[in-house]
Amino acid sequence: MLIRLSHIYKIYGEGLESEVRALDGVSLSIDRGEFVAIAGASGSGKSTMMNVLGCLDIPTYGDYWLDGENVLEMTDRQLSHIRNKQIGFIFQGYNLIPELTALENVELPLIYQGIGPSRRAKIAREALEWVGLGGRGGHKPAEMSGGQQQRVAIARAIATRPPIIMADEPTGALDSKTGQEVLAFLRQLNREGSTIILITHDNGIAATARRIVRVSDGKIVEDRLQEVDWL
Amino acid sequence: MNLTQAFKMAFKSIWSKKMRSLLTMLGIIIGIAAVMIIVSVITGANKKQMEYYESMGTNKIQVTATLDNGGDAFSEVYTYCKSIDMVLGVTPSGTVSGTVKYGAKNSASMEWPPSVYLGSDQYALCNNFQIERGRDISAVDIEKYNAVCVLGARAAKDFFDAADPVGKSISIDGTAFTVVGVYREKDPNPQYSLDNLIVIPYTAQRYLPASAGDMSEFVVKAKDAPSVSKVIALLNGNFGSWSQLGKGDFWCYSDQQWQNDSNQQALMMSLMLGAIAGISLLVGGIGIMNIMLVTVTERTREIGIRRAIGAERRSIVVQFLIEAGMICGIGGIIGIAVGFVGTAVASRIIVQTVMLPSPAITLFAFLFSVALGVLFGMFPAIKASKLQPVAALRAE
Repeated sequence: MLIRLSHIYKIYGEGLESEVRALDGVSLSIDRGEFVAIAGASGSGKSTMMNVLGCLDIPTYGDYWLDGENVLEMTDRQLSHIRNKQIGFIFQGYNLIPELTALENVELPLIYQGIGPSRRAKIAREALEWVGLGGRGGHKPAEMSGGQQQRVAIARAIATRPPIIMADEPTGALDSKTGQEVLAFLRQLNREGSTIILITHDNGIAATARRIVRVSDGKIVEDRLQEVDWL
Repeated sequence: MNLTQAFKMAFKSIWSKKMRSLLTMLGIIIGIAAVMIIVSVITGANKKQMEYYESMGTNKIQVTATLDNGGDAFSEVYTYCKSIDMVLGVTPSGTVSGTVKYGAKNSASMEWPPSVYLGSDQYALCNNFQIERGRDISAVDIEKYNAVCVLGARAAKDFFDAADPVGKSISIDGTAFTVVGVYREKDPNPQYSLDNLIVIPYTAQRYLPASAGDMSEFVVKAKDAPSVSKVIALLNGNFGSWSQLGKGDFWCYSDQQWQNDSNQQALMMSLMLGAIAGISLLVGGIGIMNIMLVTVTERTREIGIRRAIGAERRSIVVQFLIEAGMICGIGGIIGIAVGFVGTAVASRIIVQTVMLPSPAITLFAFLFSVALGVLFGMFPAIKASKLQPVAALRAE
């Protein structure tokens, strides 16, 4: 089992009358190579779930095993390494650094791995070619369309070849055609063996995943496999 | 993440906000330049003063002595001093008044006429002169009352222009004196110059009108600085009772104390003004901290992104520290450049010589400004690294 969440709680304002349970005892297992959509309305807790799964946030209670290791016992430094090597993030707002070119953005996770300049640039160029932006490495994010920016973000996510790709509403800011292109990249990555976790509020988008986990009020209300047409 | 990369990143970030970075640096630039100029000009002026003292001769004791019965005070002091091995030399240092002539040249019509000194064969030793041409006054000259003289470089130039004065004869108050030597130039000041002198054997004053020579002033040269006060004590012990005994007057002092005082003053002055300039550096440093805090706030999202893709806290601290250090370092370099120009200009105006800051103060200024950046960048950098990735990512 690649990911195992056990009785995870994320509680804000604990003990107060106004306490909010963003995650309310969630247990979930994800296997290597799965394509999971975590679906839910806004405020359902799906983003908190993604933050916990992505080691960006620490749950109030519960256990989280990632590749057999207990995430909650890790130091900040170890968590940084997990985010760097195990997980590639794709965000709704792209989250590229505006001062850096596309190539430099893609190189960034490799810089934090301590990879030398020439090898880094080579890997980053390959990743940009993979998303079809081979010729645009020198452009800054502001000089690119939303779809192109999201493809740069995908290139950045895959540059370190992480086993897990987490996409948080990756199509949310895009029109449906470019949105479909982004989904196609995720499907391709899944075919090549990556575990994909896709967070979305859109059932149409969620339909691309082989497994849907539906979240509401911080709880998992549905967890089922579905037929997909792309395999 | 390696350091070269971190430096590149910091430089990029500073360069992308040139105007703001420059304004931030301004405090550092002004502070560093001010400290450098103040310290350099004061130490330079003091050094020049010291060199002047040096050229006049060091470890000198000025003696003024007269005997009421008209006796030869110099001989008494000279004889006594010969018995002290801390004394290197003794010479009269009084002047002779009178006109000096050579051909058509006449000291009476000169704007800066030379001084004619009565000296012993140790005059040059006591007053730090060296023979350039010919020979110095000798013990034989003193003994035989020889009518000879040695010229300072300036006097030689004024009377003989480029010609060799050795062997020529000049007239001092109507008496012919043969030039036997010329001293090497040591004070090229165009107006008052230590080189503008003529030295004659003190015994040769017998050829001059009796009122012409002043034999009440001598110079005693001690062998080193610590000996000066000991020799003064010995002299005072031996001759200090003259006035009490109604025998005459004896007084001696050394300008060593002066030199120490003027050193001390220069040090106090540069410390005080340096401290004032240091305050502007402190203000500059706080400016850096302020801007770095603003930068951290502005770049919260960037910090979040970096943390999300694997930057450790340490990397974030290093990033911001290097950025602050680099702003200050660049400011320091500009400040040093301004300091160099400022020192050159200020020294030209104040001490009439172009001086430049020493390498030591330059290095210190640079290291100090970088240290300032790191110090004042520390708090914002740590603040930046403490941000939770998820909170930082949510920032707009």
